[in-house]
Parts: sequence; structure tokens; C-alpha cells
Amino acid sequence: MACNPRNAFPGTVYNNADRALDLYGDNIEVDYRGYEVTVENFIRLLTDRLGEDVPRGKRLGSDGGSNVLVYMTGHGGNEFLKFQDSEEIGSWDLADAFEQMWEKKRYNEMLFMIDTCQANTLYKHFYSPNIIATGSSEIDQSSYSHHADNDVGVAVIDRWTYYNLDFLETQVTSPTSKLTLADLFGSYDESKIHSNPGYRWDLFPGGEEKGRERLVMDFFGNVQGVEVEGVGGNETEWREDMRRLEEIIYRARARGNMTGAKKSETPVEEVIAPGRDLGKGRVEGAAKIEGVEAWGQRVLGAGALLGCALIWGGASWLESR
Amino acid sequence: MAQGIDAGPEDANFKVASSPANAQKQPPPESPKSIKTRGFVILSFWAVVLLLGLPVWLWTTSIHRARLPLQHMLDWADGKTCKPTFPLQITIEAPFLQEPEAAHLVRMTQHALDDLNEFSAHHLRLRLAKSFLSRDFQNASMTSIEDEYAIGPLTQFGNTDGLDEEALTVRLQPQPGAQTARAELQSHSTRLDVFYVSHQSPSVSSSSSTLATFIATKLQELFAEEQAIVAYILQSAQTMGHAPQISSSASSASREFRSRSHRSLNPELAARLDSRMTRSLKYAPTYHITVSLFTPSAAPSSWEIELALAEYFTPLLDSISGVSNFTVDTQVQLYATFSPSVHSPEYDAEQQIWTLREEDLSGFINAAEWPLSPSIGAGPTLNFVLYVPDRSTSPLVVRGSQASSWLIPQWGGVVILNPQNANATLNEATLLKESIQPALLTFSHQLLSFLGAPQTPPSLPLQLQTLTRIRAASLLLSASSTMGSLAWVTVALPSIAIPETVSSAVDTTLGHLRSTCEALKEGRFKDALENARIAEIQAEKGFFEKSMVGQVYFPDEHKVAVYLPLLGPVGVPLVMSALKELRRLWASRKAGQPG
Repeated sequence: MACNPRNAFPGTVYNNADRALDLYGDNIEVDYRGYEVTVENFIRLLTDRLGEDVPRGKRLGSDGGSNVLVYMTGHGGNEFLKFQDSEEIGSWDLADAFEQMWEKKRYNEMLFMIDTCQANTLYKHFYSPNIIATGSSEIDQSSYSHHADNDVGVAVIDRWTYYNLDFLETQVTSPTSKLTLADLFGSYDESKIHSNPGYRWDLFPGGEEKGRERLVMDFFGNVQGVEVEGVGGNETEWREDMRRLEEIIYRARARGNMTGAKKSETPVEEVIAPGRDLGKGRVEGAAKIEGVEAWGQRVLGAGALLGCALIWGGASWLESR
Repeated sequence: MAQGIDAGPEDANFKVASSPANAQKQPPPESPKSIKTRGFVILSFWAVVLLLGLPVWLWTTSIHRARLPLQHMLDWADGKTCKPTFPLQITIEAPFLQEPEAAHLVRMTQHALDDLNEFSAHHLRLRLAKSFLSRDFQNASMTSIEDEYAIGPLTQFGNTDGLDEEALTVRLQPQPGAQTARAELQSHSTRLDVFYVSHQSPSVSSSSSTLATFIATKLQELFAEEQAIVAYILQSAQTMGHAPQISSSASSASREFRSRSHRSLNPELAARLDSRMTRSLKYAPTYHITVSLFTPSAAPSSWEIELALAEYFTPLLDSISGVSNFTVDTQVQLYATFSPSVHSPEYDAEQQIWTLREEDLSGFINAAEWPLSPSIGAGPTLNFVLYVPDRSTSPLVVRGSQASSWLIPQWGGVVILNPQNANATLNEATLLKESIQPALLTFSHQLLSFLGAPQTPPSLPLQLQTLTRIRAASLLLSASSTMGSLAWVTVALPSIAIPETVSSAVDTTLGHLRSTCEALKEGRFKDALENARIAEIQAEKGFFEKSMVGQVYFPDEHKVAVYLPLLGPVGVPLVMSALKELRRLWASRKAGQPG
């Protein structure tokens, strides 16, 4: 979008017509842009079903200790979100992709946020554990844009996104912020957003209560833990360790090389988020459930078809008389 | 033909004449031939639809799903197929003892060990050195203690027996004049020297011996950490038990096993192991190591890194190449500035040092501007950063602990290189390899902990052996759980295709898992690791098969909406004509029957 030739301010995306905050900043990295943003690529990214030639920068290198944030915004409707102008991702597609991620332990906790018309329908079908989902608007509700920038010629930001960003910019000021999801969700003002945001907690172990205690920075931050290797007290021990290692290395060198092992190209990636205890086990009963109404729908469809056939048959019978 | 056409109007005239009331003109009756032709036309249409259209439609819309041995895969994930055990072979060498005495000692030590051991999956097995049995006793007692002598024949014997690699050699030597026994672990070989007081050596008749207990305790101590790690790995695999139906049907045996391993892990140790496990990298066959020099000024602009690496780093990499491969590259980055969110170092006038706040260490690496891209090569990248502070802010240390190096879990390590003494300055154009040495040793230390090597037995060969076993166990479990995930995904998502490559990858994985399990049981740990590596790679390949992306989900409404406009206009004439034709046939048959 930033590099679209129709953008009057090349290389930038602003959250506001006052153009104070350039969302692209100085050093943002966009891995998928323009026509690379397809439903297939998105699902491949989530499930890591990518060819071996895809660089690691274009992969989601998460593992069982990672917290994943999925934020989607765009045009959408009941149980779908449009990608480009030609295709859309459905609620079931997302649910299945997340289930595969869960199966392969590609996330620890996930925060799913979506800003589109009827956004809350999009997380309806999720069935994998440890997901907190939130959306901007109920079914049959529109999600409105905040305002338009006349120089750019389009609406620059959606209302819900605007107030989310506003919260993050003004409240979450440092990487050590202790604000929780309850604070973030509590900041939503329906009179400003012009729609009713929805939340889904039932997939999260401990439900709403535990989910609300999650820190915003668990998902929006990339706080890397650090282990300082103490010198001070056990300096002698440390030196001893080092000396030993040195000796070992000399020995090893004297012994000469050992056999090299085989090469392989299976890429495995480093983790983004700090690791966390995952020993909670699988949530019981989190399985894909086909609703009973599916059968009802089928009967209805068959009935409609039959009805059409009957009308047609009746008409032709009348005509033939 | 021409006659037929001529005949038509005459017929019609005749009809009109015979029934003047019916003003409408009737079409001429069809000739039986044209009725027959029409029948054939309809039939041929139907034949094309049924014989060509339907198969093509089925063929093009069907999803190819290769058969997978689902039950086997789930059994592996469940841990039903394989309970990994780790029998460690320990050889006892007692050149100064009589054979029956030595054998008795070994038996008693084994007893004492079995009593000490709480974790049955990991146990130590003692045996008397074969070389001792075959060697002339007189000869042996006269030989001086030499490194190679003791190890040489033993390994030969091990090979000819086709037995497992031995984990440790315990060498018993009498020590005249000492009051208590003591043990000494060789830091560069797998040998434990035990010096005992001569009167401690047990007679054949005695039922207990301080020496046996002493050896058993020592051995137990040596392998305590490894046992704890193995128990931890197995336990975490258990508690992360796969699918709900599996955890509910978990056998009582595994539950008992779990509780037992729980007991052997005290919470403090478990927490430590936990932090170690999160720190260590996920297994990969190849790791990429980037050693970088960052400096905020223009100097040092070069370093003798190649020499230093060859001397201090490569030997270590070579010795762990059995576990993973490594590629190394280096870079120098001048004028590297901190990111603006980090507080700049503060001067501590008292100690004349510059300090960094510990909270800021996580932001020390300026990820946005320092070129530490993870996208080099195939494997995960480990970054080792050597930071040479500017002369004006040197020496630079972490406030409080005064440390100058730290470790970022799963990412890499950072070392701030300060001048060794106050007069020396590092900001010369070239860093000599001697000045890099301490940093590289720190990196080596960090590398080992990233790989998940234990820290306690202070002998690298022992640590590497332990690493082999730990890796084999964790790979076995992770490949098994991938199998379970794949089976589960296959069942849960009926709409994704499963190509034959997945099926063959699964077969390979299961095969190698089986050999891993057997190798573990027999104590062939290198073999086990080799198999487990292949299993893991194949399992990942199977799960992440590129073509296994679920086709975009279509609700039934969509299908109707696609097919109805197409099939409606085509189908209605087809069906109606077929019906008419059938009715005609029925009528003609009815008419024909009475007559």
C-alpha cells in the first residue's frame, strides 16, 4: 500500500489525516506485500507449508512457546474477509489453519483481532484451544472508517483499529508495561467505535477471567528475556569453567576431526516470543463440531430444489393440457 | 426422401378433410425411423454424460488421500509403542584386584546403584573390564597408568562384542596412605579414577562395602543431572499428551511412570530445567553461527577472527558435529549505535566503570539497524555478538552483577569486550586473536547451553554423550508427536489432500522411530540419534508437505450456487427428454402387449 503508485505520499502510511504518525516508520519490514497477499499464502504462512526455497524471514518461526497475534482488517462480511479484490478467507479456513498450528505446537497463546463488517462472525468457528478472539462488530453490523484523508483520497483507518492504536500509542508506553487485555478491551467506547466489539474467551484455559489478566505486551511486544551470566560471586567458578573449556578445546583439537554428519535442509526457526510454560495439556473437548443445523440446511436446500422441480413439472403439465 | 416429403401434405389434407372441427394443423406423425433416431440421440447424450462427464467430474474434483497408518501414528504419539530406556554401560577396571574380588565389588556396586536409582528408564549397568579378564594379572599390575593403554583395548573389545558404546570407565586404584576414598573425573575423557584405601576393598564374603557404596554414590552423582533432564523430557512429553481421547485412555502404567518421574524431580530442579529447555534451541540438523563485531566507533575495524575461530572454536564444533552441523560466518559493523529506547550507559565514578541497566539488556541489540538477519542459510541462526565499547565509555559492564556477557534465549549471546587492564586499549585498528579468546570461550560455553548440554559432569566427552542421549530422546518424542499431529490433522480435515510423499515420509519415520527405540534399548545411543534425526526430518517433511494446504473451505450453499446455473440448463432437457422417452417406451409396450 505504501508503495502503490496511487499513494500521494510514497513509502508512508499514516493513521490519521494529520499525518503525524507514520506507521511505516524508519525500519519496518513487510514480508508479504501487494499481490503476494493471498489467502493461500496466508494459510501457508500460518501452517508453514512453504517450499524449502522460502527464506526464513518470510516464515512464521513460532513454536510451542510463542504467543501469536493475528490482526486482520479489511472489507468483509458474514464469516469472510476479502483478500485483494478477488478472493476471501472464510471463518472455517482460519479455524482449520489455527487447528493445524495448535496440532504442530506452533503457538502457545494466540490473540486474534479482526476489524471488518460483521467481524465477530469470523471467529465463530474456531475450535483450537488457547485462543482469545475479538472483533469490531456484531453480525449485521457495519464497521466504519474513522475519517478520510482528502489528499490521499481514501479513508485512512477504521474506527476500531484507530482506537486500538490510540490505546497502544498513549497507554502502552514502555516494553515493560503491565497493562492487561482487560485494560485494552475496557478502553473500547462503543459510541466512538459505532459498533459493538465482541470477545471470545471460551477457548482459553481459565476462560474470561484468566484471559483478561494476560498482558497486552504478551502479544504486542517482543520482549526478549536475557540471562546475565553472573561474574561477581562465583567468578572463580566461572573462570575455572572457562579454563576447563579451553583445555578441552585444545584436547579436542589434538585429537583431530571427527566424522561430519549429514547435511539436511529442513529449516527450523528461532522463536520470537519468550518461552513460557506449556504444560497445561490439551483442552478437553476442543474438537471440530459440525453443527446440527448443517443437516437442516441440507434438507432445506433439497426441499427448495424439489419445490422448483415440482413447479416446473406442474407448469409443463398444465401447459400440455 | 423426396417422396416422403411429398407424401406429408397429402396426409395432412386428408386429416383436415376428415375432421373439419379440428381447425388446428397437426404435425405429421413421426416415422418410426426418426423416433428411433431420437431415442439414439437421447441415449448417446446420456452415455456421454454418464460414461465421460461423470467420471471426469469425479476424477477432477476428488481429493487424493494416501493411506496413512493412523493407528500406528497415534500409538507412537501416545507413547504406547515405545517406552524409551537408557541403559548406560559402565566398565569397571580394577587392575589391582583379584578377579573374584573385583566381580564381587561390581555386583555390590550394582546393587547399591539400583537402590539409589529412582528412575527406572535411565539406569546404569556395570560390568567388569574385559581386558582385565583376559589380561595377565601380573602384567597388568606392573603397567604404569597411561591414558591410552587403558582405553585402547577396551574399545576394541566393545566393538568385537557388538555391544553398545560404554558411557564411562571407572578405574580403581589403590592409594596407600590416604584415609578416605576419592574420585577424580578426567575432564577430557570418559574416565573416572577412583582412589581407594586398600583396606576398603571388599573380601568375597562380605555383604557390604564402603567402597561399593562410594562408587555407586559417585556414579549416581555424575549422572544425576542427565537423569533429571531425561525424566523432564519424558514427563513433559507425557503431560503434553496428545489428543483428548488419548489422555483419557492413558494406561495406568504410564500414569505411574509419570508420578514416579515427578517424584524424582524436585521443584527447584524442575524450574531450572524448565529455564534451560526454553533457552536451548529447537533441534535442527544444521545451525548457522554468525559471529559479529560491533563497535560504536571506527575502530577496531578488523579482527583476527579466522585464526581465533580455528584455534578456539572450531575444535568444539567438530566434536559436537555428531549432534548437529554448524556453519560459521563473521561480520564487522562499525558505527553501530544503540536503539533510541535504550538508556545510554551511565558512569559510576566510584568504581570508574560505565554501567548498563539490566532492564536495558533486552534492547541492547538494535534489532532494527544491526544487520543480524536470520535469513542466512537453511538452519536457524545463532548470533554471537562481540561489542567493543567506545574508548570514552569503557569499561562497560552490567550494573549490579558487573557481568560483561549475557545470553539471549534461543537467539544468541553477547559479550562486551573491555580492555584487560586500564592501560591497554582495544580501539586499535586490529583486534588480535588473543584479545578475542576470552569472548570465544564464553561463546563456546553459551553454545553448549544453547544445544542443551548438561553442565554437571565436568568432562566434555561425558557431556557430549549426555547430549547425544538427550537429543535422541527429545527427537524421538518430537517425531512421535508430529506423527500424532499429522494423524489428527488428517482425520480432522477431510478436505485436504494427502499425497503419496506424505505416506512414504510417514513410513520412513515410523521405521526409523522403531530403530531408534531398539537402539536406545540396547544402549547404542549414537545409532539411536542417527535414526532419530532421520525420523525427525522425515516427520517434519511429512507434516509440512507443501501441497497439503487445505483447499479453501466451501460451504454447501456455495457448491449449489456454482453447480446449479451450470447443471440446471443442461440437466433439465436431459432429464425431461429421458422421461418422455421412457414414457413413450412404456406406452408402446403397454399398447403392444395386449395386441
